[in-house]
Amino acid sequence: MSDSPLIALIEDEEHLAQGLLFNLAAEGYRTHHESDGDAALAYLLAPPEPIAAIVLDCMLPGADGFTIARTLRDAQCFTPILMLTARARPQDILDGLEAGADDYLPKPFNLNILLVRIKSLLRRTAWQSTQSSLSSRTLSDPDHVEGESKGEGSASAFPTSPADIYAFNNRTIRFDALELIAPHRTTRLTVMEADLLRYFTDRAGQIVSRKQILEDVWRVREDTDTRAIDNFIVRLRRYIEDDPANPTHLTTVRGIGYRFLPNPQ
Amino acid sequence: MNINRRRGAIALSITLGVLIVGGLMAYNIAWIILYKGRIAAVILGLIVFSLLVAGVILNTVFLVREVRRNERQDSFLNAVTHELKTPIASIRLYLETLQRRDLPDAQRAEFYQIMLADSDRLLATVEQVLKAGEIGARRPHDRILIELAPLVSECIAITLLRHHLPPESIHLEPIPGNVRLHVRAVSEDLRTAVLNLLDNAVKYSPNGVHVRCTLSIYRYTNVALAITDTGVGIAPNQLKRIFKRFYRVPGRNAVRIKGTGLGLFLVRAIARQHGGSISASSPGPNQGATITITLPLADPAAH
Repeated sequence: MSDSPLIALIEDEEHLAQGLLFNLAAEGYRTHHESDGDAALAYLLAPPEPIAAIVLDCMLPGADGFTIARTLRDAQCFTPILMLTARARPQDILDGLEAGADDYLPKPFNLNILLVRIKSLLRRTAWQSTQSSLSSRTLSDPDHVEGESKGEGSASAFPTSPADIYAFNNRTIRFDALELIAPHRTTRLTVMEADLLRYFTDRAGQIVSRKQILEDVWRVREDTDTRAIDNFIVRLRRYIEDDPANPTHLTTVRGIGYRFLPNPQ
Repeated sequence: MNINRRRGAIALSITLGVLIVGGLMAYNIAWIILYKGRIAAVILGLIVFSLLVAGVILNTVFLVREVRRNERQDSFLNAVTHELKTPIASIRLYLETLQRRDLPDAQRAEFYQIMLADSDRLLATVEQVLKAGEIGARRPHDRILIELAPLVSECIAITLLRHHLPPESIHLEPIPGNVRLHVRAVSEDLRTAVLNLLDNAVKYSPNGVHVRCTLSIYRYTNVALAITDTGVGIAPNQLKRIFKRFYRVPGRNAVRIKGTGLGLFLVRAIARQHGGSISASSPGPNQGATITITLPLADPAAH
């Protein structure tokens, strides 16, 4: 914790990158910059030291921002990602969040808002990173996390407030640690996945519409295509359902949205 | 999403047109059978029928054309967003930085310089966009007889000046047989096209500019202007795509070079407007490229 957090900036526009790096450094962060998508991916998948957060542009030479986010998540890397999008169409934002980004800002962005959003992403993961270092796990060691089948031990080792833990069906969601502990495996959650799960657990038993989710969790106002959430739901079901194909906890309410039931009969 | 909806609209209007024409035909056949004996009635029916069919066909054609035009407009707006927003985002970022922090004078001066460069980039994009808009509005009678060699020479001179290059870096080869090649074209558009091609040749030659321009007769009735550079080259699978609006070649070399992705699109639009064509060839990455634009030859005696 003596070092300041390292922020990776993936942005190909030279001027934007220079200005962002200057401001991140002025805020006391350490920075690493990549301007090419493929090079960025190589760096992010095997960083020499843990990265606290990634600021990711969408349109890049080589792999684009969406591909990078998706690849990182598929590789069990859960470093929070703030995505910058030039095309601020709702569909682009949804694509970004679906690919695994935790937050987004349309260009041109407001500097103060950007810095606040980065700070909040870091705060969300601060607790989790201290725990990681205590239990000798690092952010760059995804196999370890995935392979850890008995998660209960580490869960009880640290005192937390009850609001940060939600238990149902042999599973425990640790919102503070961004973890979902199931009988046979522990899954690391992205900030966005945790936010969405929290949204459902706070409204257990209620029917929530796709539109509500979009507006409340993702802050997207979109009238036409709200199917984009469905992929996210499929992912969450893989984590929390015994049989993801026949969900009992996170059920679809036809034509309306979804309902979370902690104890279905 | 939008494009699919437009395709649907086109399909619908064509289907509707075909159905109405079919209905009219059935109606006409029925009319002929009904009034078999009376010539006047049959002729009247045929005239009304042809008028109605012509109307429906015309209506369908206009509708389809309008939908297509809308579609192009839409993709254009989508694509231009990025090129306009990036410099604005940058300028805004630096302004907010200046507002938020106390900076030493040297740092401020550097930021002002960056903002100026970004506003130049913004202006260049805006101008290219406006030019792209103008081209669609041109009419054939704006075209005048132009001799190509002096126009190309002039464009070479402008390009050399713009990029501070020595005269030998861009070379116009003498025309075989020393003929004078004329085309009928809008002079400003033709200049834009040639300047864009030369600009590209220079921009994509990061390790020294050696550009060769040749003018020649192509398939008897056309003139071909080929501009060959020794720059980063074009991969075979990119040769067709580079002419698409806002398309920029992905990859390590191309990305360092700033551009709107409008240049070659504009050149192609101008070439097509004048009844010509454009093509690209390249031996491969880092081995240079040749862009060839062909235009129909004009006869100076005919005017």
